[in-house]
Amino acid sequence: MRTKLLVMLVLVSVLFSACAQATPTAAPATQAPAPAVPTAAPTTAPTTAPASVVLNVAVVDYVKGTTDTWLENTIVPAFKAQHPEVSDVQFTWLTWGTYNDVLAGYFNTGTGPDIINFGSEYIAQYGSQLADLTPYLGKDAWPDYAQYIPSTMAGVTTADGKLRGLPWLIAPRAYMCNMTELQAAGLTSVPTTYADWIKEAKSATIIKNNALQQAGLVVTGKLDDWQEYIGLIWGLGGQLYNPDGTSNFSSKESQAALKFMYDRRRAEYPSETVADLPQTNGNRLSDGSAACVLGNMWGFPAATDPVWNNIQLAPYPTDADFPNSKPISMVFQDWLGIPAYSKNVALAADFLKMLGSADNQFTYNKGFGSFPPRKDAWHDYTDTTLMKNIGNIMDQYGVAFSDVRDTAKLVTILQKEMPAYFTDQEDLATAVANIDQQYTQALKDDGWIK
Amino acid sequence: MANPYLNTVYWAAATVLFIIITSLISGASARFVVKIRGGTKKLQERAFAGYLFAAPWVVGFLIFVLIPMVLSLYWSFNKVEPLKPVIWVGLKNYLDLFGDSDFKYAFLNSLFITVIGLPLQIGAALILALLLSQKLRGMRLFRVAFYMPVVLGLNSAVLLCWGLMFNANNGIVTQIIQGLGQIFVPFNWLDRLFIYINELISAAFLGFQSGRYKILQNVISAGFPAADRVPLWLQSPLWTKTSLIILLIWSCGTMMIFYLAALNNVPQEIYEAAEVDGANAWQRFWNVTWPLITPYTFYNLIVGMIAIIQLFNEPYVLFYNTPTVAQSAQSVVYYLYINTFRFNRMGYGSAISWFLLIVIMFITLIQFRLQNRWVQYDLR
Repeated sequence: MRTKLLVMLVLVSVLFSACAQATPTAAPATQAPAPAVPTAAPTTAPTTAPASVVLNVAVVDYVKGTTDTWLENTIVPAFKAQHPEVSDVQFTWLTWGTYNDVLAGYFNTGTGPDIINFGSEYIAQYGSQLADLTPYLGKDAWPDYAQYIPSTMAGVTTADGKLRGLPWLIAPRAYMCNMTELQAAGLTSVPTTYADWIKEAKSATIIKNNALQQAGLVVTGKLDDWQEYIGLIWGLGGQLYNPDGTSNFSSKESQAALKFMYDRRRAEYPSETVADLPQTNGNRLSDGSAACVLGNMWGFPAATDPVWNNIQLAPYPTDADFPNSKPISMVFQDWLGIPAYSKNVALAADFLKMLGSADNQFTYNKGFGSFPPRKDAWHDYTDTTLMKNIGNIMDQYGVAFSDVRDTAKLVTILQKEMPAYFTDQEDLATAVANIDQQYTQALKDDGWIK
Repeated sequence: MANPYLNTVYWAAATVLFIIITSLISGASARFVVKIRGGTKKLQERAFAGYLFAAPWVVGFLIFVLIPMVLSLYWSFNKVEPLKPVIWVGLKNYLDLFGDSDFKYAFLNSLFITVIGLPLQIGAALILALLLSQKLRGMRLFRVAFYMPVVLGLNSAVLLCWGLMFNANNGIVTQIIQGLGQIFVPFNWLDRLFIYINELISAAFLGFQSGRYKILQNVISAGFPAADRVPLWLQSPLWTKTSLIILLIWSCGTMMIFYLAALNNVPQEIYEAAEVDGANAWQRFWNVTWPLITPYTFYNLIVGMIAIIQLFNEPYVLFYNTPTVAQSAQSVVYYLYINTFRFNRMGYGSAISWFLLIVIMFITLIQFRLQNRWVQYDLR
């Protein structure tokens, strides 16, 4: 009898505790403040079945309070209206700081969002693990395909001859300088050569109490951005890979680019003991804390803001010592892909079609400060002088930031070796030799070199 | 499926059912064993009840601790990558550890933080406990205040706040140091001395890690810091480990609680006897208090060492947005994480974790062996 009582007690207690945890949390109700935007015709036929599918979307490039709310409040209701079988579209907002780790988790476990926002360079790494979207978004399947700039489809979102994603936004990166600050530092134009930039970094930087009050140039991090480094190598006419696929980071272009970054850093930070700029919630160009910034329009004031009247743009610098050197502008293209593990490929493709309509591309890119990858979405804000200038730089000097192999490992290697050199823990020869050796090994380990 | 959330409910229900079934099997097995050993009906019932109640924990231990441990031990001898066949490589992963300069770098970082940070953490806990054991009005409030960091925990939100406070330019920590230095000039000298000593030690250590001492030469040639120098908490590789150590000190509340209990356990009559013998406050502490609280110090030492060697959350959150200084603060567990989850080297990551286990056990063993020399368990 006592045993039975005990069993009953255990069963009841376990069941109660389990019930408490298993109660699903009600999803917050979201109302669409704006009317549903025009959308493309769905591939999958709407059904009368009760709503049961939840689509998950991971987005990394968004503007908080603007493009994210537009997705949640405008796009999602419109998509649900078109697809009654979809009960919800949930977003995961990623950050670049943990992006590689999160992506690795998704693909390793085979569980994760149905749609992922990728950066330009990720097609090399994840292309083969994404669903083939040719039957949904390909030339023959989707009339809108013809509106997309061909290089955005063929260059960045195609792997193994198959379409793996929808181009989402284009953001050329340029050096942007506040001419008032430059003139105060005795300069009349935006630097265009290595020597000019070192001069600018020195003369436009203001240090007080051993802390930066104004930086001559702000680049992500502390003038040690790995993406800029790759752009500088390309700008000198260098290549990241040898013909046999091994790393080419010990090339003379690569060494010159890294040396330039070191000298520029020393011009801005005379010693490593100078404190960085204070944190800011605005942007460096309009709050006066930087004379120049390397960046795109993300997080900057709207293209119509008067602040832009005083800002001039320039592509990556050149160096006369390198005959193949030419000004370039790194063009970053975000795109949206559907992992092969997704059980809702057709529905997710429909969601991409909706996002890929001219109006929706226009709205998102306007909110984000980038260019829509489809030509018929270039209107209104892209007609401003600023966007025309950025567009011109992209036209004249644009180089797609793609074909960067084994990105996660390369980033880790560069983010270790570059600062080791910049902080005098290593010399130049050691740093590039280490990058070369480690990167070649990584390429071998991960099957990039057969 | 009518409702997408039903999937979660099914899994939860299946888990509960699994726990119930395994618990019943455990209880029944225990009763059977007692029965075949000739146990009475009462003993059988006791065995059944005991194992039934213990089973949920035991099953959890098996599923979440023992089986993963055994699997990771097996993986450590294999090349394991997701969606690829497992390949037996023998001791290769372990041998690779010794040739991996990044692993050595991370391991030395962890050792540095442990060797410098742990004594400071224990020291801070002891000082706070001594202060809080005084019989003063409102002392409970102070106890709560000093224990609050433990309640908050070093979670991501708290660490992000520290990230803002540690800004070298306008963070509140820097502002306070600068303000105090302006009001009280000796504090400024003290601050500069702290900066100088910290940078000398860190630069020497970075030189030791990389085999190049130019950064140390730079610090020496720069001389004694100027009056306007500030600590570059999260900005410079010379300060990243110091920032982590300060966080460890800030979160010494648990150790402090143990010391408070220890101080309450010291018999008052021993103090009275020492006072009668003319011992001053320091002599009373050094000859009475300290020996009698050494068991607690020993406990804090072991538990603190294990916790600090396993440091992960702090460097991960503080430096994920500043990856170019992150390596100078990269702990060995952070390195394990990167290899396992960013580079998908599950086998190598498992080898790191087992190597770490052996190191921790070895150091703990040494400490247990050495405790006879300094830990006082009785009053004789």
